[in-house]
Amino acid sequence: MSVKKIIALLLFCIVITCAFNNSYAGDVGGKEVTSLDHKVDTKNLSGVNLWIADLYNNDRLMYSIVVTLVMAILGTTMAFGTDLILKMLGMDVTKISHRE
Amino acid sequence: MDIFNITLPVAGIEFNVLLLILIGFCVGVLGGFFGVGGAWIVTPALNIFGFHMSYAIGTDLAHIFGKSIVATRKHSKMGNVDWKLGVISIGASVLGVEAGSQIIMFLEKTGDVGSIVRWSYIILLLGLSIFMMYDYFIVRPQQLELASGSAPKAKKHKPRKQRVRLSTRLHKIKIPPMISFPTSGIESVSLWIVLFIFFITGLLSGFMGVGGGFIRMPALVYLIGCPTAIAVGTDLMSVLFSGAYGCFTYAIKGRVEIIAAVFMLMGAAIGAQLGVTAVKYIRGYGIRLLFAVMIAFAGVSVVIEQIYKMTGIPVYSSIAGILVIGASVLMTSVICSKLFIEARKERQLKSNVSV
Repeated sequence: MSVKKIIALLLFCIVITCAFNNSYAGDVGGKEVTSLDHKVDTKNLSGVNLWIADLYNNDRLMYSIVVTLVMAILGTTMAFGTDLILKMLGMDVTKISHRE
Repeated sequence: MDIFNITLPVAGIEFNVLLLILIGFCVGVLGGFFGVGGAWIVTPALNIFGFHMSYAIGTDLAHIFGKSIVATRKHSKMGNVDWKLGVISIGASVLGVEAGSQIIMFLEKTGDVGSIVRWSYIILLLGLSIFMMYDYFIVRPQQLELASGSAPKAKKHKPRKQRVRLSTRLHKIKIPPMISFPTSGIESVSLWIVLFIFFITGLLSGFMGVGGGFIRMPALVYLIGCPTAIAVGTDLMSVLFSGAYGCFTYAIKGRVEIIAAVFMLMGAAIGAQLGVTAVKYIRGYGIRLLFAVMIAFAGVSVVIEQIYKMTGIPVYSSIAGILVIGASVLMTSVICSKLFIEARKERQLKSNVSV
């Protein structure tokens, strides 16, 4: 998959996500509203955990953007990384013929 | 094993990091091989090991998004992704999912929606499994017999007719505009037929609250007429989209445990690479058979879950989860062993040729 295709696909995902996600607090009969207010207890946390918990507690939109971006970036990086490792192990693949 | 326990701040629990990587690995292999997200495996697994259900679903969807990037890229490299078909499937599926969720909202007002959804799930999983096994064990041998011209068994019975595939019949319906999918080897099919099929698969996934990979993959093979490997790759492209949406929407609701998702993704990335590579060595019908077995296990597990709902005996719920996890570990072992055996054979063959 070319980088252009990945970027186009991600942009497409973001646009559709925003279009369908305009009222995330308004789930079935408003039942979810109280649970959305859930706060993480930061008393015993430090380092990355504390940063994540603070982000989660203070800015849920930013938290969701960070989560989505981390998954996208990590997924893309791992796709290239593991591909390289498999190539070194002699398990490289190219176009295959489709046999039923 | 306490040294492997990590704190998951958002879910507010301690969890074994090796277990997270192992769950990710298994679902990575299965996802890459079958072209599914695998939420029906991960969600009960996380739930059984201590995640609250809503965190299990959200975290699962987040890791599925990352994993499907790995698997889709690899499938694309192998020529297994039909981009045109994939984009159409996304568009029609979104509308279908919305229609499915509207049906759920309607049913919620009228009665026991949970039970209706579970029974639909059971019928679909077991029905699909039986259909695919019938195709593998009954139809395929007959077709091969007819194709070879020997037909020894046919002497005892009436002469068999060459069956016309369902996809071929659908291709004959000429409602303009007609569209072609060269990557899938489909010369001409009505766009309306394609849109309708994906609308229905989307509706089913919206109705049952699942990603829909296990519905779309067989639909691509049996209704659209894609080769199995292309169905797997194209379906993963759709899973990439639904995973992205699911990841964002659950994160904004505060139900994604990012640390767990990252560790699961590490296992899933390796698993997905192996799962996709295995597609190279196993014939299309082999993939279909293993898929049929896997969804049969999933169907039985939902039956047991339904028994739990009816009786209220908690052990049934545990059995259902353990069955699905056990089946996925078993299937992962089968796929990986097949991959390593075939890869070794290929390497030996290459070295013999070079000598």
